[in-house]
Amino acid sequence: MRPYYQQINPTFGEWTWNQNPSDQLLSFQLAYLHYLNSHWINEIIEFRQGFTRVSIVWKSPERQDQFIREIEGLELIPVPLTSKVWQVPVCYDPIFGDDLAHLAEEKKISPSKIIELHTTPLYRIHFYGFLPGFFYLNGLDPLLHTPRKRMPGAYVKPGSVALGGSQTGIYPKESPGGWHILGRTPLSLFDRQKQPPVWAKPGERIQFVPIDAQQYHNWKPSQPQFVEQ
Amino acid sequence: MTQELGKVQLLRCPPGTSFQDEGRKSGANFGIPPAGAMDLKSYQWANHLLQNPPQSVSLEFSQPGLQITFDQQTFISLAGGQAEVFVNEQPIDNPSLICIAPGDRLKIGAFQKGQYFYLCIAGGFITESYLNSGSDFDSVTESASKKTGETLFYKPRPKNLDQKAKVKWNSSWFESPIIEVHPGPDWSLLTQGQQMELKSRTFQLSKNRSRMGIQLEELYANNLPDLPTNPVFPGTVQLTPSGKIIVLMRDAGVTGGYPRILQLTEESISRLAQKKTGDSISFQLI
Repeated sequence: MRPYYQQINPTFGEWTWNQNPSDQLLSFQLAYLHYLNSHWINEIIEFRQGFTRVSIVWKSPERQDQFIREIEGLELIPVPLTSKVWQVPVCYDPIFGDDLAHLAEEKKISPSKIIELHTTPLYRIHFYGFLPGFFYLNGLDPLLHTPRKRMPGAYVKPGSVALGGSQTGIYPKESPGGWHILGRTPLSLFDRQKQPPVWAKPGERIQFVPIDAQQYHNWKPSQPQFVEQ
Repeated sequence: MTQELGKVQLLRCPPGTSFQDEGRKSGANFGIPPAGAMDLKSYQWANHLLQNPPQSVSLEFSQPGLQITFDQQTFISLAGGQAEVFVNEQPIDNPSLICIAPGDRLKIGAFQKGQYFYLCIAGGFITESYLNSGSDFDSVTESASKKTGETLFYKPRPKNLDQKAKVKWNSSWFESPIIEVHPGPDWSLLTQGQQMELKSRTFQLSKNRSRMGIQLEELYANNLPDLPTNPVFPGTVQLTPSGKIIVLMRDAGVTGGYPRILQLTEESISRLAQKKTGDSISFQLI
């Protein structure tokens, strides 16, 4: 799983993997990110991570040229992924799960089956993007893969748990959204007063745990519990 | 002993007015967009005229009608587009450097050219910094934009500026329709014919525009595949399956799932920011 480096312009390039997103790819990516952090951080303005790329903005063209020369033949050992699993409470009650009934009808299965399919997997956090505190997860059951809404819906409430395409995730703040809303978590996903402003890291996993409306309203801690699994 | 801060009262504040500087260089790993001045070039120029340090916070506005008062002496500089500018109802010929006396009232009238304006003040506006930037962004700063009735703060009694060095801001640099681009990470997914078409065609800016991105009017037929979500930056040109071309701007999310076909140069991002709905542009590969 050695990436190749694609130079986009004199001060910008990408490490590119042409595989599908997976745990294995992520553990390689984390090794390459670690290498950037420990060897090149002073030459870099910033870098960003996606499912199959690591994008790097260089301080100067010379630095990128030097990097390209020095990474020739570079081979890194993948970073083992952590066993930490965050347990994220989700209320799938129809008061929050706007699209649950409709989705069940479309897929010809019961709403409770959808909830079961959604709460069974352990989802891997790959990176943050889209909005502050929004993590991209891998591992949605193929039965739940659903095209995004043709017309993005009205404003989605913060904490909404949703799926779209082969993805599932949580809206950290109010936003227009094209995903199908299954429920809502009482947790806060982004808090600018905290350092860091998010509680989970790439490589860790998420499990959605169903709660009822009363538990939702009485929920106290803004940060979830985790288990080692 | 602390010096009392100067106050700016926003008597009338059009929607979309916000604090901006060069934006955030960190935070993408938490999903935080860089934000920052839409037209970075003009922002930097006005700051430079005031001899402000880099990252000094300015007030960005994109609609006419701003009316503010100052309660202490200072210097301000207006850059970006061109508009009618009045101080105490007197028209100002060159707003690149204005000496402000206590009680002065600044009013922005009709826009003549451009779309984004920067009101820079000697020493910069004083605001909470998050990840080394005072740029407003929803959930990252206290509010996403400024509102009528708010008070902004600045350091009074600035050092004297050399008024002889007064130069007038020239907007001709953004009037060119040429938008310089590098091929984006997914450029090679386009056929040679599609690449040629993209280079030779003229596009118009649609009315669908914000600090997040600018959508072009013309559709561009394509059959590019669905791609995994990957990093995007201000100036990344995305192509949607329905053929819409979207140029991402300063507040765009840090990752996106559409093919990234082009990447604008820094100067071209500023230039595009100043274009209006209906203006024509063409991409020039460098």
